[in-house]
Amino acid sequence: MTGTPVRGMVRSPFVLVVGAVLTWFIAAFLVWPNINVLIATFFPDGSFSGRAAEKLFSSQRAMKALGNSFLLAVALSVTVNLVGIFIVLMTHYFRIRGSRILFLGYASTFIYGGIVLAAGYKFIYGDKGIVTSLLVKVFPGMDAGWFSGFFAVLAVMTFATTTNHMLFVANALKGIDYQTIEAAKNLGASTWTILRRIVLPMLKPTLFAVTILSFLTGLGALSAPQVLGGRDFQTITPMILTFTNSPTSRDLAALLAVILGLATMVMLSVMSRLEKGGTYFSVSKVSSELQKQEITNPVANAAVHAVAYVLFAVYTLPVVLIILYSFADGAAIQTGQLSLGNLTLDNYVRVLTQQSGLRPFIVSVVYSALAALIAVGGLLFVARLLQKYRNWVAAAFEYLLHIPWILPSALLALGLIISYDHPNPLVGGAVLTGTTVILLIAFVTVKIPFTLRMLKASFASVNSSLEEAATIMGAKTLYVFRRILLPLVLPAAAAVTALNFNSLLDDYDTAIFLAHPLVQPLGLVIKANTDGAEGTEGIANTFVYTVLLMVITGLTMYFVYGRSRRRTGRKRLPGSPSVPGTAGQALPGAPAPGEDDAARPAAAVR
Amino acid sequence: MRRFPNLVAAVAAVVLLAGCGSGAATPAPSEGGPQSAGGSGDTLVVYTNSNGEGRGDWLTAKAAEAGFKIEIVGAGGADATNKLIAEKNNPIADVAFGLNNMYFSQIKNEGALEAYQPSWAGDVDKELGDGETYWPLVKQAILLGYNSDKFSKDAAPKDWTDLWTKDAFKSRYERVTGLGTATAQLVFAGILSRYRDDSGDLGVSDEGWKQVEQYFQNGSPAVAKTDLFARIASGEVDMGQMPSSIIADREKSFKVNVETVIPSVGVPLAVEQVALVKGSKKKEQAQKFIDWFGSAETQGQFAKQFNSMPVNKGAQAQANPEVVDFFADLKQQDIDWDFVQENMGAWVEKIELEYMT
Repeated sequence: MTGTPVRGMVRSPFVLVVGAVLTWFIAAFLVWPNINVLIATFFPDGSFSGRAAEKLFSSQRAMKALGNSFLLAVALSVTVNLVGIFIVLMTHYFRIRGSRILFLGYASTFIYGGIVLAAGYKFIYGDKGIVTSLLVKVFPGMDAGWFSGFFAVLAVMTFATTTNHMLFVANALKGIDYQTIEAAKNLGASTWTILRRIVLPMLKPTLFAVTILSFLTGLGALSAPQVLGGRDFQTITPMILTFTNSPTSRDLAALLAVILGLATMVMLSVMSRLEKGGTYFSVSKVSSELQKQEITNPVANAAVHAVAYVLFAVYTLPVVLIILYSFADGAAIQTGQLSLGNLTLDNYVRVLTQQSGLRPFIVSVVYSALAALIAVGGLLFVARLLQKYRNWVAAAFEYLLHIPWILPSALLALGLIISYDHPNPLVGGAVLTGTTVILLIAFVTVKIPFTLRMLKASFASVNSSLEEAATIMGAKTLYVFRRILLPLVLPAAAAVTALNFNSLLDDYDTAIFLAHPLVQPLGLVIKANTDGAEGTEGIANTFVYTVLLMVITGLTMYFVYGRSRRRTGRKRLPGSPSVPGTAGQALPGAPAPGEDDAARPAAAVR
Repeated sequence: MRRFPNLVAAVAAVVLLAGCGSGAATPAPSEGGPQSAGGSGDTLVVYTNSNGEGRGDWLTAKAAEAGFKIEIVGAGGADATNKLIAEKNNPIADVAFGLNNMYFSQIKNEGALEAYQPSWAGDVDKELGDGETYWPLVKQAILLGYNSDKFSKDAAPKDWTDLWTKDAFKSRYERVTGLGTATAQLVFAGILSRYRDDSGDLGVSDEGWKQVEQYFQNGSPAVAKTDLFARIASGEVDMGQMPSSIIADREKSFKVNVETVIPSVGVPLAVEQVALVKGSKKKEQAQKFIDWFGSAETQGQFAKQFNSMPVNKGAQAQANPEVVDFFADLKQQDIDWDFVQENMGAWVEKIELEYMT
């Protein structure tokens, strides 16, 4: 696609309306609050000092932690792709016995993550873990503390963050035209050659995108290093959190966050450059659906089956143990001694019979759903325009919309407070602090970058001939949007909505500063029940809340994503073979639910 | 499958409506459900970091019996402090309690507290608060505790500094991995105050900073989401920092026996306070609530329920006698809180950047 001159762009009333609303939104909620908080941070007395940089660069610990974060980011970009591609091929490409069961196991990362996930792996591979105990019996000389440090963190985070592969790479795979594969077969190509020369190249744009996500996840790693990193492998996020909380050190936190944010932006621009210029979808007018492939070599077939099932065990064991442990008492959880006789419903009774009861769950579900729908709904228009018009104005808007990726959410929240605690003309003279709206605004803004990347990608994969045909036949802009484009991007939009919804459910960092005192969301209640008092009840409550959240997020994924997935697999519009599949084509985004993420660092459960 | 297009249309409609709303509706607080906290009836908004383990629910119920409708907003000590400061131009809270004197003096310096003398001011030791804006409720000792099944009283450490100077304790004590918590900050306040030297870096002598360095080099780093008592029970470590109020309960849960060390210089005390928030729209009601909450009767019930040590002299009769005896014998470390408060932010930063490994 070629660039569109700015002059051409402003002729469309549709562009003008969306542009006006967007300009106001960016100015009021992305630029103004964050400029305020950055000024307050870097120019506390009205003058700038290089203090923060000086302190940070002379600190061995900060530099080492920063280095570890980058190391993890790079390593994860590789390992997540290896494991992610493997499990996608197992569930969607090769004919593997029991692939539906395998899918469910691999999909367990959709619904949980964070500190409890790390704890789950520790129950299994930690020094008192089940697998370690078995291994020690077999090899008496081995070190019981083998599962710690860089290797352990990398392993856990790799298995924990294949969510994006299962969602977006799997989708892209389904969009591959099977006729190409058949043709290659007829020409005598081997399974391996087809995979390497046809399938993987077609997945490239999606792989670039999930690579950015993995990189981001590694940079923002928080709980896995805390639980498993030991003395030698700590990352920078905990330090950012400590400094954010201390008014006198906040400039250090902001500087670190900006460094990570810039690295993310560099990664983004490198990936979009790599992606440019290729044709990644079938141009045939009548494409056929992908069929599962047999692995003909019996030895290879057996080996692949074995690996697939070992991975299945790796993925599911922590979930099973977390669910079991959620019925045990807090002391048993922390000392790793589980006995079936001690499992009771006490933890659940305690959590669910609190005075606040189900109210925080409802508040969180409503807030998250509203924010997810507003972000996706609003950005559908924006993404469409940014994808259609390529010029400097569009590029500027796009970069501005990524601001929430750069700052930690606590700083975003503080910015909103100091900007809107007095009547402000930007919002019609209203005072926003102390209202229920301000948290909704924050929820929407933090989800903008991820939503935008995903939606833009899915618009990019729409075959433009459909739109042209409609326009030639006289359809108006909004009609084309509503009847042609929207149905095509809807599966991707639904998936993004679900991911956004899930990740906001237990938010603490934003809510703690912005929630209305009478309408408190779940994150605050979780924190009150799990924090500080790590003793006995606190830790048990953490597990209970994790399981309850698993139920909610599992249902969401099933209703929103699971159903649309099945549907797009069967029905495909002719002439747009890659539509549903390439939803993730450009795909950068924020980490999916359950990952560590610099943007939401201190969530109590995840 | 026939129904499918309808479903799509319905979802699309919802998404579109929400989308259209995103621009116009959200910023207008008059629409939808937004309500101003200031106008939320006669409900008092109370910020605290002391709502865990059922305290929040208990207090809400007791307050209702006494005719106060309160809504508790729980947050960690640092979060609550930052929130109160950030909101000072248009406060949402009416009362704050549970934060210690370090946090409250920070909030006071930002001008977010209103002076008020509660009716029970005469029953508490004014020295524990500032005698003006924040008033003491509950005392908490920040202690070094050790596994008494492993160490006899004679073999146990006598002071924090023994941990890194005597080989028997090296790697046997848990050291913190972050200074975000009030307990950790108070431990360092207690250590660094001893090495005050106005010509030293941040008011502390080189010798003092050396102690900090040794503390981090020789300790076993804390493990996220694993309580110190769990690690003591499994034998990973034998000692570490602990606030006095949790000890009895954790000993029972983890089936360990813990004794505490009283150094010759004394023990740092964290004193949880209560204060009126400046700009509260329900000032009179808030003052009445403070009068009720800090009274001998309420504090006595609170102490009985949660095993705490009330500052209010009238309440001590109702508190657990063991707790009262413990505090009666306890030597309090003499700490210049103004000095600590002034430097704590910089100390935390220096320790995080230079000494934590």
